Amino acid sequence: MSSIVLQQAINGIVVGSLYVLVALGLTLIYGVLVQINFAHADIVTLGAFAAYGVTHLLSGNYLAGIAAALGLGAALGWLINAGIFVPLRERGSELLPLIATIGVSIMLQNAMLALLGPIPYAFDTPYSNQVIRLGTLFLTVQNVLIILVSGVSIALLYGFMKFTFLGKALRAVSQDRETAGLMGINPGHLIMLTFVIASALAGLSGAMLGPVLVLTPFAGTSVIVKAFAIVIIGGFGNVEGTILAGLLVGLIESYTTQFLDPGLIDIVVFALLLLTLAVRPTGLIAERREENV
Amino acid sequence: MNAFSTFARLAWIASCVLVVATTTSPAADKVIKIGGLLPMSGPGSYFGAQDKQGIELALDQLNKSGVNGYKFEIQYEDSACSPLPASQAAKRLIDQYKPDVLIGEECSDATLAIMPIVEQAKIPLINAGSSSIKITDPGNPWTFRIMPNEVMQGVDIATNAYKRLNARTAVLLHENTNAGIGNAQVFADTFTKLGGKVLADIGFGRDVNDFTAIATRIAGMGGVDVIPTYTLEGQGLKITQALMQAGVVKGGGGKAIQLGTIWLPFGFEQKAGKAALGYIRIVQFDPTDQRPQVRDFVQAFKAKFNLEPTHLNAHAYDQILLIADVVKRGGKDAQSIRDTLAQTKDFSGVTGSVEFDKTNQNVKMDTIHYMETKPDLSWTSLKWN
Repeated sequence: MSSIVLQQAINGIVVGSLYVLVALGLTLIYGVLVQINFAHADIVTLGAFAAYGVTHLLSGNYLAGIAAALGLGAALGWLINAGIFVPLRERGSELLPLIATIGVSIMLQNAMLALLGPIPYAFDTPYSNQVIRLGTLFLTVQNVLIILVSGVSIALLYGFMKFTFLGKALRAVSQDRETAGLMGINPGHLIMLTFVIASALAGLSGAMLGPVLVLTPFAGTSVIVKAFAIVIIGGFGNVEGTILAGLLVGLIESYTTQFLDPGLIDIVVFALLLLTLAVRPTGLIAERREENV
Repeated sequence: MNAFSTFARLAWIASCVLVVATTTSPAADKVIKIGGLLPMSGPGSYFGAQDKQGIELALDQLNKSGVNGYKFEIQYEDSACSPLPASQAAKRLIDQYKPDVLIGEECSDATLAIMPIVEQAKIPLINAGSSSIKITDPGNPWTFRIMPNEVMQGVDIATNAYKRLNARTAVLLHENTNAGIGNAQVFADTFTKLGGKVLADIGFGRDVNDFTAIATRIAGMGGVDVIPTYTLEGQGLKITQALMQAGVVKGGGGKAIQLGTIWLPFGFEQKAGKAALGYIRIVQFDPTDQRPQVRDFVQAFKAKFNLEPTHLNAHAYDQILLIADVVKRGGKDAQSIRDTLAQTKDFSGVTGSVEFDKTNQNVKMDTIHYMETKPDLSWTSLKWN
């Protein structure tokens, strides 16, 4: 029994790491802009397809696929900010960018449907079916890669935010955009950087999720609701809270599957969401808003 | 004089138009309008894509000469494999296109949502892909199903699992839909009655992506002989691969055999890879069937699409051919098509034959074909029926 508990912990950490990667981009944008990008899910999907395409084109070079997904995500982030958020922000509306990203999401989904078709793709990397067995425990090399990539991405993001000038400037913009501007920081550039980093993370998460997800043009939407829940449970815009909540949700899913019923996963996760909102509305890691991101 | 000449010219043109109109074959005006309610978006959209190919081929063939002076036209709506979009699509199609007959849906929940709408509109619906027993029991007079229902499939596969595979333990995996729950329940009831034991009944939503936790749970149960699985293709792939990684099924060195019914399309084995080794499932169509109409269909399909036909292509093709057969027997509008459909007894399609009982369920079992995945990922027909 203890080996099953341990195995489910490993499964939970793998799934949780994937959720964290998706949710981090959302939390970054919310932390800096107090905006939600509904097209985030579709950048995840496009990242997965980019990784799939490049991996197959280069005869199984998955690492090149990951790099392509990262690049595509960054490019899309730049495009969405420049094409939608900047012009609409200049009009002073908070609601319009939100609605515009829903439009972008629907447009991207249908473009992918027309271009790639509805039939699920089987995205097997060279690591998907390489199983490492340690006694009764098992883990695919793909899962090891997921944990490694997530861990390194989180560490790099954390280091960037805490220790680099740009990271500090970004936090300054999230705390007070006007004052940061008066201090010589260009908020427009920093917001663009936020979008590029968040969307690159979405693309990266797509590349990691692709071999796990049922890969169709709607793949990203199946994880995005959980990612939103994680952002709320972790504390809106709080990076540390998002990491903690992501891993917690992954573990809850695994143990609910083992000891209750997988059909109850959503009930348990969203009950936790409601409980968090009721008992601790600021999220698991309660900080002042200005200290987020 | 000029006015008279203009009048004469106009009268001559008008009479020519009238002559042309009355001497043209009546077939040009006589059209059977078919409404196609197919999933074209969401996780079940592979059904719609493959159905359309079968329909297109059938219409190409039929419209070359028509049937009893009738040609066939189709208009599609995306019913998305889900009750709400399906009912909206049905209403839109009926109000705007005014079809003589409808075909669809694939998913049981969506078909169940459409049924009261077609009953109210008095338009017959031919279903080829939904297995829930509720569709024909109690059903309604306007809904016909040409595929075996969940009871026919479930009883048959559970009996074969117990008697031919000597299975004594089973774990049920299914999506939490009417069809998923119903199929699993029928298997469990039959298998238990025969003396088998169901170790776990595991249901999940369509939003579940990672099945490693479920595979871990099954691995922890020890000796599982068969794993009947009822999901759409995408989740089916992930389940099969997770079961292999957990060492449960043959492809991963285990001994359990996955069993499935007609939910999965052909080509599943190639996508799942060696994880699919030993997978036994029911398909609605056997392309190795030597009947002439099957050989002709396979040949025509390959010529048109440069692809091997799947059972989804085949059952969509049969739906259209059945409509043509009904028109040949005198069906010309919604009411007469319904009445003629109900009398169908000896229709022979590419998936098998059709004879409706009082509930409008096809009672023929020759639409059930078993196949097993071989080590080279090809499959073999088991000829169990």
